Amino acid sequence: MTASMTNQGTAAHGRRTAPVYLDYAATTPVDPRVAAAMAECLTQEGAFGNPGSASHDYGDAANALVEAARREVAAAVGAEPEDIIWTSGATEANNLALFGIAAYYRDTGRHIVTVRTEHKAVLDPCRELERRGWRVTYLVPDRGGVLDPAEVAAALQPDTTLVSVMHVNNEIGVIQDIAAIAAVCAAHGTVRLHVDAAQSVGKCEVEFDRLGVDLMSLSAHKAYGPKGVGALVVSRKRGVQLRALQFGGGQERNLRSGTIATHQVVGMGTAFALAAATREPEALRIALLRDRLWRGLDALGGALRNGDAAHSVAHLLNVSFEDVEGESLLAAVRSSIAVSTGSACTSATQEPSYVLRALGRDERLAESSLRFSLGRFSTEADVEAAVAAVLRAVTRLRRIAGDPQARGGHELQ
Amino acid sequence: MNYNNLTTRHFEGALAAGVLTGRGVRRGAAGGRSQGTWVQFDMRIDSSKPVQTLEAVRFLAFACPHVIAVSDWIAQTALGREAKPVLPESVQSLRERFDVPIEKLGRLLIVEDAWIAAVSSPYRP
Repeated sequence: MTASMTNQGTAAHGRRTAPVYLDYAATTPVDPRVAAAMAECLTQEGAFGNPGSASHDYGDAANALVEAARREVAAAVGAEPEDIIWTSGATEANNLALFGIAAYYRDTGRHIVTVRTEHKAVLDPCRELERRGWRVTYLVPDRGGVLDPAEVAAALQPDTTLVSVMHVNNEIGVIQDIAAIAAVCAAHGTVRLHVDAAQSVGKCEVEFDRLGVDLMSLSAHKAYGPKGVGALVVSRKRGVQLRALQFGGGQERNLRSGTIATHQVVGMGTAFALAAATREPEALRIALLRDRLWRGLDALGGALRNGDAAHSVAHLLNVSFEDVEGESLLAAVRSSIAVSTGSACTSATQEPSYVLRALGRDERLAESSLRFSLGRFSTEADVEAAVAAVLRAVTRLRRIAGDPQARGGHELQ
Repeated sequence: MNYNNLTTRHFEGALAAGVLTGRGVRRGAAGGRSQGTWVQFDMRIDSSKPVQTLEAVRFLAFACPHVIAVSDWIAQTALGREAKPVLPESVQSLRERFDVPIEKLGRLLIVEDAWIAAVSSPYRP
């Protein structure tokens, strides 16, 4: 199937129309401008040299691009260029932050605070640290997914070394009050604050230094950059220390050894520069599409919006549908729209979303949820197609499931 | 989750979905919506012949695509056959025919329970 980012009218030619892509929170297509910048680093005519090779011009040329990308990423998130540590993505950045801090401060404290609605890339390292003897407190947000900073304050203990809270939730789009949580951590003294901001860049303002964050995980492919590259922002001015997880060359301040993939980081730099430049108008345009999508779905009846709408990014809409079985719902819409149930990482297991369960949704409603995430290439036609597809599917499945009021049986005529 | 062609055809078509009303209709259900799988069969039996045969069968299901597809296939396949408290095909054969994952075996047993409940329900002339 030839995929399309927009709702192409191929049906008129008798061919199957590609599903409308509304899963930008899972990943985004690489922006053509990003792809062009990356391509220039790959061939003999381009900056193909090893950026660590200081002994010739080829290395210098690649290194200049790497450092330019570092400045672009830093500028996009309000950090200093020397704070940027390249990684293979946000998962590696999260692992480096959690295990790196835990290892460095192991003799002063072994308590970590995080949230039940974090991404698995934070929760799974926390589980592993528990197996290794650390204690982890998992906070529960309110029913809208918002974490009260007072909950963080109450959870801190004398030996707490790290608080890890995501900025924008990947399933429901709720934005946490990172500035207030940072203030709580600062008041406590020695505790470090890590923020998973994989979903934030280009969607909402990210101000690493101003917020008082110690570490921040970033991903390129959520912001129209390539897969396989991300960064951990580690504040030098705040004196953050952590232990490396891999060795073999001492690149990236000895925190992440390995030859830097010039084309990947150049792609991330270009993507982040574009994201910063287009964030406000893009968010406004996408918010209008998101509202239109919600109005269309809400008209169906029995559609419940997940997450606190007043504290959410524009591009994400998570909806549970009453009286519809979750797997059937996804199967019924998948030829028309590409969406997720829960997060993309957990969809394969067909388990109800642990994020929605943490928000108090029952198992059935958590299973019958769809995450619509809009993006740079989404159009009004895409939204109209999505609404039509969901209305068709939900109506049909509710008909097959019968009238819920009559399911206990009724008198035979 | 991937589905084989038969599952897709019966899930998307679901031609036997619905209810039967009127005299002589038998109804049976099993499972529960809160459990994630609920199936109901309605059947009209021709009692005028020496062997009671199924004249019409309909189903309702709050269930995954596999269960909807299997229920639809059963409702269509059973037409004209003798009304017996056994499925037209064993659960194991249905699992293979529709390529149902082993972890969903319990859901097929709910289909079987609903069928048996319908066939065994009291006949109302």
